[in-house]
Amino acid sequence: MPVVLLERLPLPSLRTYVTVSVLLTSCAIYYAHLAQNVALGRISDPSSTQTNTDGAPKTPPTWPKTSEGYFYDKIAILIGEGWCVWALINMAYCCLILVGKLIQRIVFGKLRVSEQQHVKDKFLNFMFYKFIFIFGVMNVQNMDEVLLWCTWFSVLCLLHLLTQLCKDRFEYLSFSPTIPLSHHVKVLVLLAVIQTNCAFLLLLSVFVGYVYAGINIFAFMAAECILLMTKSMYVIVRYAIHLWDMNHEGVWENRAIYVYYAELIFELATLSIDFCHHLHMLLWGHIFLSMASLVICMQLRYLFHDFQRRIRRHKNYLRVVSSMEARFAMATKEELEDNNDDCAICWEGMDTARKLPCGHLFHSACLRSWLEQDTSCPTCRMNLSDPSERTTQAPVTGDINGNEPRPDAQNNDLQNQMTNHFFHFDGSRYVSWLPSFSVEVTHTQILGNGLDVNLAPIHTSQLDNMARQVQEVFPTVPLSSVVDDLRMTHSVELTIENIIEGRVTIPPAGFPSRTHQSLLTTPASATTPPPGGAVPVPMGSGSVPVLPSQGVNLLPSLGGAAMAADETRENGADLMDGHDGLNEPGARNLLLFGDSKEEPSAMYGHRFSKSAAERETMLGRRKEHMLEQARRRFASRQLSQGCVDDNSTSYASLDHQENLYPSLNVDSAIRFTSAHVPGSEASDGQQDIANSIRERAYLAAQRRMRHN
Amino acid sequence: MAGSALKRLMAEYKQLTLNPPEGIVAGPVDEENFFEWEALITGPEETCFEGGVFAAKLTFPSDYPLSPPKMKFTCDIFHPNIYSDGRVCISILHAPGDDPMGYESSAERWSPVQSVEKILLSVVSMLAEPNDESAANVDAAKTWRDNRARFNEIAHQTVRKSLGL
Ligand SMILES: [Zn+2]
Ligand SMILES: [Zn+2]
Repeated sequence: MPVVLLERLPLPSLRTYVTVSVLLTSCAIYYAHLAQNVALGRISDPSSTQTNTDGAPKTPPTWPKTSEGYFYDKIAILIGEGWCVWALINMAYCCLILVGKLIQRIVFGKLRVSEQQHVKDKFLNFMFYKFIFIFGVMNVQNMDEVLLWCTWFSVLCLLHLLTQLCKDRFEYLSFSPTIPLSHHVKVLVLLAVIQTNCAFLLLLSVFVGYVYAGINIFAFMAAECILLMTKSMYVIVRYAIHLWDMNHEGVWENRAIYVYYAELIFELATLSIDFCHHLHMLLWGHIFLSMASLVICMQLRYLFHDFQRRIRRHKNYLRVVSSMEARFAMATKEELEDNNDDCAICWEGMDTARKLPCGHLFHSACLRSWLEQDTSCPTCRMNLSDPSERTTQAPVTGDINGNEPRPDAQNNDLQNQMTNHFFHFDGSRYVSWLPSFSVEVTHTQILGNGLDVNLAPIHTSQLDNMARQVQEVFPTVPLSSVVDDLRMTHSVELTIENIIEGRVTIPPAGFPSRTHQSLLTTPASATTPPPGGAVPVPMGSGSVPVLPSQGVNLLPSLGGAAMAADETRENGADLMDGHDGLNEPGARNLLLFGDSKEEPSAMYGHRFSKSAAERETMLGRRKEHMLEQARRRFASRQLSQGCVDDNSTSYASLDHQENLYPSLNVDSAIRFTSAHVPGSEASDGQQDIANSIRERAYLAAQRRMRHN
Repeated sequence: MAGSALKRLMAEYKQLTLNPPEGIVAGPVDEENFFEWEALITGPEETCFEGGVFAAKLTFPSDYPLSPPKMKFTCDIFHPNIYSDGRVCISILHAPGDDPMGYESSAERWSPVQSVEKILLSVVSMLAEPNDESAANVDAAKTWRDNRARFNEIAHQTVRKSLGL
């Protein structure tokens, strides 16, 4: 909030500010010079006051003098005069800013927008809190003291900002594989300089505390220094790990562990130091019930929460690690050789790996980081929550001591999902379309409500796994029906039997697939008339009865869906007609899929340059080529179509066109044959993919036909 | 975490360059930042989007491939599963724990074995067969269902626009 306010302030540009400062300072010096001359003139020749103000600078100094004495006199005059002092202070800040700017130029070059924003935020926040500190906590009255504190914090602020920049820049540099070494060296040197400065400031604080100000002041100053030191040290450590990793061939198995523990230690250290620092402020300040104490209390609360969060995440991490190590053995040499494939998570070769019960192999580190957020096999989605955890389930879940071997599976999942979302929550990622945090929390509740109608709970990924097995046998049966039936039977065999005997209800045409939400009756689907059931049910509407908060967020879209449902009822007949059109293109896909091999689209592929610049130009050329080809094709199609009818735009309902315009039919026939022209330069991989698309289209078409 | 993500993205980029799927070109917008990609997708044949070349931006998280990237079309596209601002709403782009009601089976959702290529192929098949059950653009879903001719007309305009014609 302070940031927002301050952001609206019109700040002068650096150039103006420097100019004004220089002018002001020279005015002050000129004034001092003048005053000195006047004073000196008076001393040397009290009668001749005609060395007037105008001529003063030009008069050559005729008196004998030591330049030192002259200089000190001037300083004395400057300090004696109020406005001169301010001008000098202003100049000092100006110099500080220029120094900062210079370092930024040398080390970072032009700042990116996000870096600028970060620096700005950091700066304003820093100002705000230090203002509170000086006037709220220390309650400094004396002008000199205020000045001293300001100087101290200004230097700190500069170092903080530079650290922040280093951190941002490091993160950015780590996004690219092609960074010249000099960049890294510059940033690292700057970090080293910051460290040295911190050490110096720490010494200074010891000195000040010891000689003048006492233990409290020392503690305040030292805390600031140490905080800054930890922050910059953390960046250095991360940097070192990153550089080591990048120059290291193959997989560095323990990298993730180092990174994790570095992060953990530094984060906890920073949080606890900051917490103590603020607590100290609150207790020492004796300023309860003032604005400052309020701000500090807020800060304390925030720090405490962060700390707690971090600890909880660490517990989850430890649990995952121990459970993984206990249950998934390392793969043997033979298994690794049999597998002969890369790790599916990082796409790198495996020298060592862990084997999941489903037979899939992964790097230990890769698997661990995945299990931290999910409990299923990444490849086949088999549920991996510990079955022994499930059997030993007990109502004792809040055991903080961790004596309990492990919480039961359901709680395990709950905790997992909650903690996950708590910790891995990336606002922008979810917030864009998911209403709120509570969504995640209720996830498991809904699972509980929705799944265990009367039987034991069954995990979704397990269900999906079973559903996939069934679908392998019956690809034509919609997944939703399979899942619905599986929820009843809990057994692949029974469901298959049900399908064979025709006991599985297959939804009428118009429900293309996946109608999971039918189990969870929703307001929207309740109003849906069965035959024209393809109403856009908004995401998550099914949870409305369970979760009011989410319901509120979804109200607008729900309204839309209800409207759509109304309309559906009105135009029922139209909709039915529409279905024929709907089904047609799919069926045609089956016949005509995968032609357009007329141009060698791969002509710029098949080579992956080592040089970044070349890669970039090649990618650009491929894009251009693709666009050009598409344009050409479009134009020729327009041409062939144009001679029949300019306005014919409905591509999907091809059967109409077929009946009305025989010429088009010929066109597609030609294209159909061209698909089988030999010598299309497709590689095997391309062919596979084309096949898979074709197969998918085929399945979809088959499904539709069956519904009809 | 960015280190492993970077390696993986590099591998994917290499694969997409050496072995590009038909009608798809994808790669980093700028080699300086491997976490922002641009992809060009050709509208699938025999659908109303046939012939169009649609540009989309993929933004990868620093813990990729543990979390899915975000995808957003940078051109106008009127489709039931694409928000009006271009964000793509398909199950493969949703994190496993993302779905509050088991609405999508988790099998279809993100997992580290998915890849840019699979995402783009899913988007192609989404263009071919909109799923109007989980509509992101209710308007488009309605048009698609109730007024197919109109939808095709709009799609055709989109195609034309995407080609800059
Ligand atoms: Zn791996
Ligand atoms: Zn598996």
